This record gives sequence, structure tokens and C-alpha cells, in this order.
Amino acid sequence: MLELQDITKKFMKGTPDETTLFDYFSFSVKKGEFVSVVGSNGSGKTTMLNLICGTYQPDGGKILFEGRDISRLPEYKRAAFIGRVFQDPKAGTCSNLTILENMALADNKNKAFGLSRGVNKKRIDTYRSLLETCDMGMENRLQTKVGALSGGQRQALALVIANMTELKLLILDEHTAALDPKSSERIMQLTDRLIRQSGITALMVTHNLRFAIEYGSRLVMMHQGQVVLDKAGTEKQNASVDDLLTVFNSISIESGN
Amino acid sequence: MAILSSLEVCLEDGFVYAILAMGFYITFSILDFPDLSVEGTVLTGGVTCAVLAEMGVSPYLSMIVAFLVGCLAGSVTGILHVKLGIRPLLSGILVSTGLITVNLVAAVVGNGGSFSGDGALSNVTIARGSPTIFRVFPFTLLPETVAQVNLRKLLSFFVIALIVKLLLDVYLKTKSGLLLFATGDNAQFTTMLARNPGSSKILGLALGNGLAALSGALIAQSRGNANQGMGLGMVVIGIASVIIGLSVFGKLRFMKPTTMVIFGSVIYQACLGVASILGVPSAYNKLIMALLFTAALVLSGRLGRKKQEA
Repeated sequence: MLELQDITKKFMKGTPDETTLFDYFSFSVKKGEFVSVVGSNGSGKTTMLNLICGTYQPDGGKILFEGRDISRLPEYKRAAFIGRVFQDPKAGTCSNLTILENMALADNKNKAFGLSRGVNKKRIDTYRSLLETCDMGMENRLQTKVGALSGGQRQALALVIANMTELKLLILDEHTAALDPKSSERIMQLTDRLIRQSGITALMVTHNLRFAIEYGSRLVMMHQGQVVLDKAGTEKQNASVDDLLTVFNSISIESGN
Repeated sequence: MAILSSLEVCLEDGFVYAILAMGFYITFSILDFPDLSVEGTVLTGGVTCAVLAEMGVSPYLSMIVAFLVGCLAGSVTGILHVKLGIRPLLSGILVSTGLITVNLVAAVVGNGGSFSGDGALSNVTIARGSPTIFRVFPFTLLPETVAQVNLRKLLSFFVIALIVKLLLDVYLKTKSGLLLFATGDNAQFTTMLARNPGSSKILGLALGNGLAALSGALIAQSRGNANQGMGLGMVVIGIASVIIGLSVFGKLRFMKPTTMVIFGSVIYQACLGVASILGVPSAYNKLIMALLFTAALVLSGRLGRKKQEA
């Protein structure tokens, strides 16, 4: 459903510091896959997500989504069918608005933002039951400003919000990295449950090798703008953290880290 | 008696500039955009209203037109920033500079003169018989003065500021209004709602400048003219009122921010009023305004820091 074809991406273009991250990079994701992507810093994981979401434009190549070329589509238009949860829990919600207002806005995604009432009271019960699935006590704090929530709660809310309207692709951009071990575990379980329930196609970048092994249907390792490991099915099920670390270390030694 | 008339002036000015300050509440406080174009749009609103009044147009219609002209100017600022990538401060300076000529031409042509392009001043006088809100229904129902206080002017400013406040309160609770908050708070969030945060910013700037022009229209009607002096110091008045209002009353949960801004505006004008009662010549007003603004900024900074420490 998602296909990156011959993507090139350079940074600091036209300066002496010009670096080429992607040079004819190709990658594809099938419908219903839950892909975990690991790799060292600078391997191109996040850049790949930014290219898919439209935060960056590629210097060359095409991005096809269900056969349609979306390479030139602005980020906000791609957001109609691509949802994203960021590493920073602050990025997925608005601090100065209440939980209720955040959810009401998200509920109205892909519809007109006109002069009707911002919060539809009839939907409150639905919001509450969505929050109950997070099991973080947010269902009783609808009038609380999101800025007062903990990082874990905010990230759970961001995850729920991203999934409130029907999506075709969910992008998880190191979304557990900024949380403490316990919260990060809970968010990962919540993510897995949401993805299983909706059967949505998902692409998750993570530094947590255990999450990459335990969750998802396909495992990809990137290095210097290339895919160096790609396991799915039984191959993925048999993979262990140690295997991954071995590959990881050999790459790191090669590049002198 | 001097104190009573000073009180009248500071309430009048407080209400009329509260409309401007509510505009800044949208741009400065919600969108976090320091909008300097207002330095031009207040006079644009004044000139628009004065010219239309001289043509015999109903003052309420003139005020609506002034508001719309202000919206147009504000959206130019927004487009310069959003579409052309010019920084907020510079976009505002560009628009307010351009508006100097626009105001000039509008004033000269509106006065029935032909525009030679040299030595002209934007000064439109509203003649004694021309329609203003003080001379048509419904405010004519009020006595013009009571105990030497210009009650009609005072109450009409109050009522109009109140109507603007109530409309703004309703708007800010709509989907479009909430999206404005979201854009100012976290533009990425707006993007994720599949909305262009740029459009939301342009809309906010249009509204902010529309309100600035509306307040200019009221000032012109009250003074009986719109002249070049009107635009000066408007950014300081507006932003200082917002900051004073929000930092003094910010802790009160039951009070709406728009109400805080109106109080902020009245407090700000009261400070100027006190200076005049103490016999400070009006030439010092702009300096006092700058000092008050500095004080407001420092005060709000202190409060902000305290909150973070707590």
C-alpha cells in the first residue's frame, strides 16, 4: 500500500557540508503490516517517516500510497489518512486546551471547522469510554487542561486522538522513547491493542530492541540510508534481541562507533 | 469634578481600546503573533468610517465595512507571513507601512479632493451633521450628558465593547475558534487534524485587525475625525492591556480571558488618567505608555516564572 521508490534525500544541499542520506532508497509496506524499524542515530529512520508524512520533500523519487503519487502532497493533506504519534508527548496534543476540547477537535478531523459548537456534548460518553481503555484515570478529568497531565498520560491521549478517525496508516515515531520504563511499557501495550483492534497498517520506529522483537509482524533494521535487515513471518518470530544486537554491533564497528 | 471627568475619559478610552485589545488577545495571546500591522489598521478603520459617514452611510454599516477592511489588511499580514515566509514582525511592519499610503489616498479621495501625491495628510473630519452612533437610534434614547458626564458616549462604548466580547466568546467556543487555539498552541496538532495551520493563522490575523479597525472606527466617530496621530502607539496600548488583564486576573477561573482583557484595558487607561490628574503634561503620555508596557512585561514574566518554579 505504501511504496517509496528510488528516493534521494540530501541535507545541507549546496553547502560544503552536503550529506546524502538516501541514494535511490526503496522500501514498501503491505496493507495490514505492523513494521518495527530499528537502527542507530542518523540511519534515516526518522527521515523516512518525515518523507512519508510530508514534513520533508524528497530530492528525487516517488512516494506511492495505494498506487497514488503523494510526493508533492502537503503534510496536512496527507494527515487525512496518515496518523502520527511523536516522541515528544507534547507534540500530539494541545496543552492549553482541556482533554475534552482536544478530543472534540480530533473527533472533527476531515470535517469542516466552521461555526458550530466546538464540543458536541452527545459525544462525551464515547470520549470517556475511549479514555477508559487507557486505564490512566483520564476519563474523570475531561475538563483538565492537557498541560497538567503526565508524559505517559499525554502520550496515551495522543495515541487515542490519532486513532479517533479512520486512518489508513499509523506512524509511530519513537513514541515511547521519552517515557519512563513503566509508562513506555503501558503505551506499547496500548498501541498493540489499538493496532490489533483496527487492523491498521503501522510503521513504528523504536530504539527499544525488545519492543521491536515482541511487537509487530515485520522487523526492519536501517543503516546509513539502507535497509540492512528485513524479517517477517516465522523469521521475525524466531529473532531475538541478541541476534539484533549482533547485527547492530557489527554495523557500528564497521562505521567506527 | 476634574476627577470625575478623568474617570469618564479613562472608562471611555478603556472600553474603546478594549476592542483593539481583544484583537490582540487573538493574535498575540492565542496565536503568539506580535502583530505590528495594527499600527496602520486602527487608522484605516477610522478613515473608512469617517469617509463613509461623510457620504451619509449608516454608522453601523460603516463600522461593519471598517471591520471588513481591517480583516483584509490583517489577512495580507497573514499571507506575507504564511505564504511568503516573512517573519511576523516584518510582515506587520510591511503592512503598516503600506497602509500609510492607503490611508492617505483614502482620506484625500474620501474628502472629495484629487490625489496629487504630495504634502497630503490623512485627515478626514466628520461634520457635525453626519451620522455617527451618537446621533442615530438606539443610543439617541440615552440622555447625552448627565451631571456633566457624557453618558451617551460612555454607555455606547461600553455596550459595543460588551457585544464584541460576547460574540468573541461564542466564536472562541466554536470549532473554528478551538482550531485557532490549537494552531497557536501546537501548529503540528492542526496539521494532524488535516487542516492547514497557515490558513488558521491568516484567519486569526484577519479577525485581530478587523477588531483594531472597528476600534479605530469608534475613535473617529467619538473625536469627529480620523487623523494620522490615531495609529501611533496602538500596538503598545493593545498588548499592554492584554498582558495587564491576563496577569492581574489570570488566576480567577470563573473569569473569561476576554473580560480580563477589558479590565486590563481600563486599568491601563486609568494609569494614564492618574498621570494626567497628577499634572503630567500629555506630551509625556507616550513615554508613560512605554514605561507601563515595560512594567507589564516584567510583571507577567515574573508571574510566569513563579508558576514554573511552583
